[in-house]
Amino acid sequence: MGRGTAVAGCPVARRPASDRFQAMDVSFDVLVVGAGCAGMRAAIEAHDAGARVAVVSKLHPTRSHSGAAEGGINAALGNKAEDSPETHAFDTVKGSDYLGDQDAIEIFTREAPGDIYQLEGWGCVFSRNAEGKLDQRPFGAAGSPRTVYSADITGHVLIQVLYEQLQRRMSEGLVVFEEYFAFRLVEDGGRCTGVICWDLLHGGVKAVTGSATILATGGAGRLFRATTNAYACTGDGMAMALRAGLPLKDMEFMQFHPTTMYPSGILITEGCRGEGGYLLNKDGERFMKRYAPNALELASRDVVSRSETTEIEAGRGVNGSVMLDLRHLGPEKILNKLPGSRELAMTYAGVDPIFAPIPVRPGAHYHMGGVETDEWGLTPLEGLYAAGEVACVSVHGANRLGGNSLMETITFGRRAGRHAAEYALGRTAAANGRAETARADAEAWVDGLLAVEQGERPWQIRDELGQSMLENFGVFRYPDKMDRQVGIIDELRHRYGRGVVIEDKGTVFNSDLTQAIELGYLLDLAACMLQAGVVRKESRGAHSRPSDFPERDDENFMKHSITTWVDGAPQLSYREVRMTKWEPMVRSY
Amino acid sequence: MKVELKIWRYDTSTGERALRPYEVDVTEEATLLDTLDAVRDRLDGSLAYRKSCRMMICGSCGMRVDGGAVLACKTRIADVVADGHVPVVSAMGNLPIVKDLVVDMDPFWQKMRAVQPYLEPRLDRATEKENVVAQEQMDMIHKESLCINCGCCVSECNSMESDPDFLGPAALAKGFRFVGDARDGATIDRLERYSEEHGIWDCTRCYFCNERCPKGVDPRDAIAKLGAEAMKAGIDRDMGARHAKWFVTSAKTTGWLRETELVPKTQGVVKAIKEIKFAMSLLPKGKIPLPFPPHVAADIGESRALFDLVTDQGRSGAAGIVQGEKALMHLAHHGESVDGPSHPYDDPRSFPKPYLPDEEPAT
Repeated sequence: MGRGTAVAGCPVARRPASDRFQAMDVSFDVLVVGAGCAGMRAAIEAHDAGARVAVVSKLHPTRSHSGAAEGGINAALGNKAEDSPETHAFDTVKGSDYLGDQDAIEIFTREAPGDIYQLEGWGCVFSRNAEGKLDQRPFGAAGSPRTVYSADITGHVLIQVLYEQLQRRMSEGLVVFEEYFAFRLVEDGGRCTGVICWDLLHGGVKAVTGSATILATGGAGRLFRATTNAYACTGDGMAMALRAGLPLKDMEFMQFHPTTMYPSGILITEGCRGEGGYLLNKDGERFMKRYAPNALELASRDVVSRSETTEIEAGRGVNGSVMLDLRHLGPEKILNKLPGSRELAMTYAGVDPIFAPIPVRPGAHYHMGGVETDEWGLTPLEGLYAAGEVACVSVHGANRLGGNSLMETITFGRRAGRHAAEYALGRTAAANGRAETARADAEAWVDGLLAVEQGERPWQIRDELGQSMLENFGVFRYPDKMDRQVGIIDELRHRYGRGVVIEDKGTVFNSDLTQAIELGYLLDLAACMLQAGVVRKESRGAHSRPSDFPERDDENFMKHSITTWVDGAPQLSYREVRMTKWEPMVRSY
Repeated sequence: MKVELKIWRYDTSTGERALRPYEVDVTEEATLLDTLDAVRDRLDGSLAYRKSCRMMICGSCGMRVDGGAVLACKTRIADVVADGHVPVVSAMGNLPIVKDLVVDMDPFWQKMRAVQPYLEPRLDRATEKENVVAQEQMDMIHKESLCINCGCCVSECNSMESDPDFLGPAALAKGFRFVGDARDGATIDRLERYSEEHGIWDCTRCYFCNERCPKGVDPRDAIAKLGAEAMKAGIDRDMGARHAKWFVTSAKTTGWLRETELVPKTQGVVKAIKEIKFAMSLLPKGKIPLPFPPHVAADIGESRALFDLVTDQGRSGAAGIVQGEKALMHLAHHGESVDGPSHPYDDPRSFPKPYLPDEEPAT
């Protein structure tokens, strides 16, 4: 290995010895784009099914944002109280405000326990109960304590155990293209045959091809200035699919998490309330009693976020926040069950929750919508799958329950990996005729981006987008604000389309370039979200229109919105919700 | 708030490196990462560094400030620039630089893979449901499982600077994460492997890794635990292991370190004979006390009682790697000591006491 030696504080610089991935003429059976929980789980499954698997990820796998999930992962194990997959399914259907597809939800809750036992068997470091079994904590809108957890770093331990298993398979031939930024799909004869990537470390546009491709690129929280999401969460997979003509489903539903810190939007887990934390307004009142008299702080996230926003807008907040109070839990419980949240609060808010409440407010957290898939993760394009936050199966409908997203990544990651491997192994390798043409096209496009010398820098557009989305398309949605936002998005897209200046003209680790491409994706997705939101004239789950359509309208809108990209603009249609046994009821907590 | 900082830039196309000064406006609560973002957005779009979660969990943004590794997202810039200090930001050490603050992490991951970083399930593993393991047993690997692979420990590792093949603190901490896991069935294999050259006994115990770890993993403690477990398993071929073993024997039997016997006990008799010439030169200076009769401490009983106590408490192997009762507290409370008013509501400056809407507000 090489290493730097210190010379007057500056290490001697050396480039990596070789480009490990020069030979791009290899075609894989299954190509997984993204390496968070869903991507790694899919890759492991496809490898174990006998496929030659490659993973392409713009971050090193353990840097993926699944690792920032804190509170836990839901499966009806019944270790703490009586529970069943059926109860889990009902809670999920109700939580989704009856927009979730019930057949997919039933598969999800039935297969979840087995997936949890498998993760434990792989060595996942979950917290234990007094009997040494997996402990489970209460979570919002759940009929039983069913959230399996590891203190408040559950995503982190999942990412670690999945990467451990991935490394084991890397010694058996699985390939990981780290810091490869996928930005276009390759389509050949009605089939997806791979992706076009920008190689961050070495530079250059490269094609990676496979018989089946699984998108697992995560969400798009970066559309909003206040978000729990990492800088990397820019909706790449959704935007690529959209541009390839694929339908996106339920784009208007962005979940706002009730407890994110001001101003950074950094997440404080729902586990804080699961362990007994209170939400207080400026007087110390547990205001949730007035909004959700039975569940109080553990109502579903859409309900809690709206209640907080109402309190803040009524002048009962503290500097635009409400307070998350853990003081009564005592040091022992805080230090043992919520040490990570305490560290976050101390580092980013200067507050030790043992002695003082944490100021929190709603922040963009999770996108329920995504690339439309069936219950095996298959999209309408042959050979293309999607799993995790990028996908919309739909398990979460209009509002996701806390602890269901990690479980979705595992269960549907596995299912997509299995199905993709069987598909790929059952047919001849994809024709690669289109890949080189597509690569050359993409290269010319990137050269064009780099050639822009005059104009504005992308960060101005990025900041205006994030701020305006938060103001005009947040927890509550008003017709005038949405109209204004449609105009803002048009203007920002126009400015972006004129060309933005990328100052870094180099090839190695050019994040100025990749961030400019990501911004273009975000702008496309914002346009889709706004249009779907304007047309959905009702209040359901995370989409709330208090001034003009405050009620749920099952007759006209108990259906999924479907957005496709036609002639440079989003076009909307609808599809029925798949129901099995739960008729819509009034939803209260 | 105006912030001045200097950044070691490295241009890959020319191979040129230079320390460049920058001045940007950031908010009071800005982190170093926010500051770098401001530099890249407003001053120089070609500045390269890694980032993602900005909440100390993804491990992307390890870099050096004034020569010591930090996570940029955990570092408040106001603390760094206090009293007009102008910090120097550079790439992490012990890893090749790709560009500016971006290092090639490949050597880091190669070493990680060298410790077989995945569970080898025991033959008697649970097949239907979960393995039953007590929480106290899981606590054994609590600190090691906090590792986010940021590389800050490796950046500061003195052993790695002199021996680039040293497995290093991150990989060895990962190793203990499995050795200490009751579900792992490859403990002996692992201890054998980690005890080879470039392994646990090549650590110089400088503690820089503990000091620089942003997550409280304490990799040096993990290495000590591996050493203790290896010796418990009788894997003590390495000179480092024999050296440590003699310290224990010597302290137990005489209450002193019997230095004259240390060399033959560590290196073996044959190698020790080669050192005789050197030893003879120490003799006139009184550095080589005669081994007979042994020099026994007056209160040797205390030394032996201490040894028996540790044995009685079952603190053999990794469980013995605690430093007194404070360290035990550390385990119970994950490293935090708690001082303050007996109840938080007692503090007159505290936020109002919670009440339900149908109750009277607390005064």
